[in-house]
Amino acid sequence: MNLRNLLRRWRALTRRKELEDQLDDELRFHLQKDIEQNIRNGMSPEDARFAALKAFGAVDQSKEECRDARGVTLLENTIRDVSYSVRVLVKGYAFTTVVILTLALGIGANTAIFSFANGILLRPLPYPQSDRLAVLDETALKRGIDSMSVSYPNFLDWREQNTVFEDVAVYFGTGRVALTGAGEPVEIRSSRISHGLFEILRVSPQLGRTFTADEDRPEQDAVVILGHDLWQRTFGGDPNVIGQKIVLGNRPRTVVGVMPRGFRFPDVAELWVPLALTPQMFTRTDHGLDGIARLKDGVTFAAAQAEMHNIAARIEQQNPVTNEGLGVRVTSLHETLTGDYREALLILLGVVGFVLLVACVNVANLMLARATARQKEFALRAALGASRWRIVRQVMVESLLLAVIGGALGFVLSLWALRLLLTAIPIELPFWMNFGVDLRVLGFTLGITVLTGLIFGAVPAFQTSRVDLNDTLKEGGRGSIGLRARSRSLLVVTEIALSLVLLAGAGLMIRSFLHLRHVNIGVDTKNVITAGVALPRAKYRESAQSATFFKQLTQRVRAVPGVQAASATATLPLSGGGWGRSLTVEGFPVLSVGQAPMIQHTVVTPGYFRTMGIALLSGRDFTDADVEGAPPVTIIDERLAREYWPNESAVGKRIRFGPPEDNEPWHTIVGVVGTVRHQRVQEDTRKSVYLPHQQVPTNGLTLVARTSSLNPQDVVGAIRREVAQLDPDQPVSEIATMDQVVAESIWQPRLYAMLFAVFAGGALVLAMIGIYGVMAFLVQTRTHEIGVRMALGATARDVFKLIVGRGMKLTIIGVAVGVGGAIALTRLMHGLLFNTSTTDPITFIVISLLLSLAAFLACYIPARRAAKTDPLIALRYE
Amino acid sequence: MKKQTADLFKQGTLELLILRLLSSGSFNGWDLMQRIQLVSGEVLTVTPGALYPALHRLEARGLISAVWRPSDNNRKAKFYGLTTRGRKQLETQRKEWERFSGAVDLILRDA
Repeated sequence: MNLRNLLRRWRALTRRKELEDQLDDELRFHLQKDIEQNIRNGMSPEDARFAALKAFGAVDQSKEECRDARGVTLLENTIRDVSYSVRVLVKGYAFTTVVILTLALGIGANTAIFSFANGILLRPLPYPQSDRLAVLDETALKRGIDSMSVSYPNFLDWREQNTVFEDVAVYFGTGRVALTGAGEPVEIRSSRISHGLFEILRVSPQLGRTFTADEDRPEQDAVVILGHDLWQRTFGGDPNVIGQKIVLGNRPRTVVGVMPRGFRFPDVAELWVPLALTPQMFTRTDHGLDGIARLKDGVTFAAAQAEMHNIAARIEQQNPVTNEGLGVRVTSLHETLTGDYREALLILLGVVGFVLLVACVNVANLMLARATARQKEFALRAALGASRWRIVRQVMVESLLLAVIGGALGFVLSLWALRLLLTAIPIELPFWMNFGVDLRVLGFTLGITVLTGLIFGAVPAFQTSRVDLNDTLKEGGRGSIGLRARSRSLLVVTEIALSLVLLAGAGLMIRSFLHLRHVNIGVDTKNVITAGVALPRAKYRESAQSATFFKQLTQRVRAVPGVQAASATATLPLSGGGWGRSLTVEGFPVLSVGQAPMIQHTVVTPGYFRTMGIALLSGRDFTDADVEGAPPVTIIDERLAREYWPNESAVGKRIRFGPPEDNEPWHTIVGVVGTVRHQRVQEDTRKSVYLPHQQVPTNGLTLVARTSSLNPQDVVGAIRREVAQLDPDQPVSEIATMDQVVAESIWQPRLYAMLFAVFAGGALVLAMIGIYGVMAFLVQTRTHEIGVRMALGATARDVFKLIVGRGMKLTIIGVAVGVGGAIALTRLMHGLLFNTSTTDPITFIVISLLLSLAAFLACYIPARRAAKTDPLIALRYE
Repeated sequence: MKKQTADLFKQGTLELLILRLLSSGSFNGWDLMQRIQLVSGEVLTVTPGALYPALHRLEARGLISAVWRPSDNNRKAKFYGLTTRGRKQLETQRKEWERFSGAVDLILRDA
């Protein structure tokens, strides 16, 4: 478009009034001349005027065409359409409010869920070029293990032999360390890391330096790096902190670095110490490390995987005993971190998208109803020269305007909804999750807003464009009711079908969650309090010290009023932790490490089974007599007992752990207990053995106490006091009731079930409103017909049945379509469901009945109104 | 012979006629209408509903320009005249028309 053209368009726009007047003048002049000519030809002034007007034709139509010719019309008309729309929407404020609220809820829910998914799945991790970061796991595919921790010697070989990574580093998952010497001892989430880790992440310290290669060695590892928050919190952001000595777990360490604000790794750790290698860590069977690496530029994950596969094969060849069947898995860090959430989040996005669709259908329905009421208005505008396209555009502009207002409100709602959603998560979220609003969220909101407007605006716009305007004017607005009623029925069927799919999904999630809630984890969770006590190795160097500490602590806690039983365990049920070791059973073939079964190895103090309500099926519990030096004993779970001794008692048999060549002592089985789910509520594949803490002292145990009070939190203060009396520097961490532990372990299914239920409930309400609207409309437009029927002898009951029958017919069609759709779609939820079939018949039947009942209620009011129709009034109607 | 209605005027034909008439002077809409009727020997008539939008389109394309000036008995009227671009356009269109009608003539004569 050239400048002149642009100027002219601009002038045409700004001088609209003037141009309009000129157009009027021009056409008036023409008429005047015609009239004068007619008068000259001998007509009376009146006839002359009439003839001139007749000859001229449709004045307004000509004017409209002249305006079109002016070429500014797109912008100008849009402005006019918008201001007209605003007037229309303000006038029909009830309609407008309902539509905007519906849209705001739909768009708000979508934006909230999208923000949530965005914060987890889409945002890049907070490290430079984080897509090049890889996680290295070991695998033992022959034993069905696709991911396990790394052993240090294997890692050293990887680091040396690979050509695909810039560097490889290892670390221990988040642990806890006591920071003492500054008032109350505090537990800090920490991680033991190899040198090179921060370089791989490409995060430089804000102060000081990172660890050196030498500091991987135990004699030189009295150093520590602080996180920014911790530095601010505990050291007041003192810039001279570098070089200072702090006491961690009774061991002084020199601060060598402070990491920048916001940096945590892994998960929530904010303090880092060197690996502290022990001699045991130099054996290839000691798996406990996590591996991380950065791909060299231009190397793909597949190429890295291929090379690591070859390296693992080479290591296996050189170390056939320890590395039999071991491989390496290379995955992207992002995928590893987000993998747990991906499926559920994608499904949730789908679900909430369905809710928006239902909202769209509902709004389209309302728009249609209103379009019917406005038929005459449109017909009139068409007769006055507005093209069909103009009217369609007017409807679309109104729709988009509604959508934009709804979207803006929805966006505000989403901020609040997201906050609410995050409070429903009982765990501390890893630092890399960030749920702030970013361009992606804004773009998404804008996108779905416009899309929504187009979807719900298209139906009425299309309908309006199809209506024969002449017929409409002639028939006084009744011309196309049949057509509209059909589209509205179609919308209701759609709405019911969509709602059914959502309700089915929600029903399955709830059913699955209920199954999960009723899983017997093997523990009586009521009235049990748990508290972590991790004794620092520097202070409790001798294993006997730790054994004594916990023996005394459990005795003291047992004496606390309100405590019925107390004990301690290295592995709390459902904690997901645990120590896997290979098992050798006396009298059965000795298998190499690669082939021996892996069992869950748990250390407990006497009284543990009674405290936790774990059934002692045969034999005895550990006692204070099972100490170091006494014959080694063990208690096994019933599954292990059944596997090896299905027809006899396991008590008295002997087993041992670890690689056969280590020749660890035999442990005599003294008892058999019920099965406990140590990993997750959903599954526990490993069979378990328990060992007495006095014989296998470990430093970190979780104290468990059963209380007589309904609120086990009551004894927390007493427990803290008992710990402090034994060792004033010893912090207590992770205090939670066993019920909380259970709840935390299933927060994801619970949250998802909750969200599904909320969304499906919303869809159900929308569907009810939709059905009600259509039925009420039907009754209104057929008042005359109903009057005739009643006049001809139909009873109120007949009329009621007629209306309800019509509504239920739509409902049944919708339910049938919905069940078909649900069967197709719930398959996608397979991975989210626990012990629940994706086509669970009970869920489907209950949901179908529920939806039908809701639909019936929605039909009831209009049907009642119809049945009460007075035939005399009805016949006079219109 | 029955009068031909404006339907026969394809948009381009009407615009060509307007350009041709304006090449001999500036006229207002009413004058133009009379002239079309007159010069075509009352064979062609055009309605205001077709004429005015055509004028506005031509004006928008910069082929004609308009001024307001007094007409008879001092009433203001909008007079249209050809612009330079309009004159060029007329030449092109006339040539095209001549080629076209010449071709039709040829066929009609030979057939």
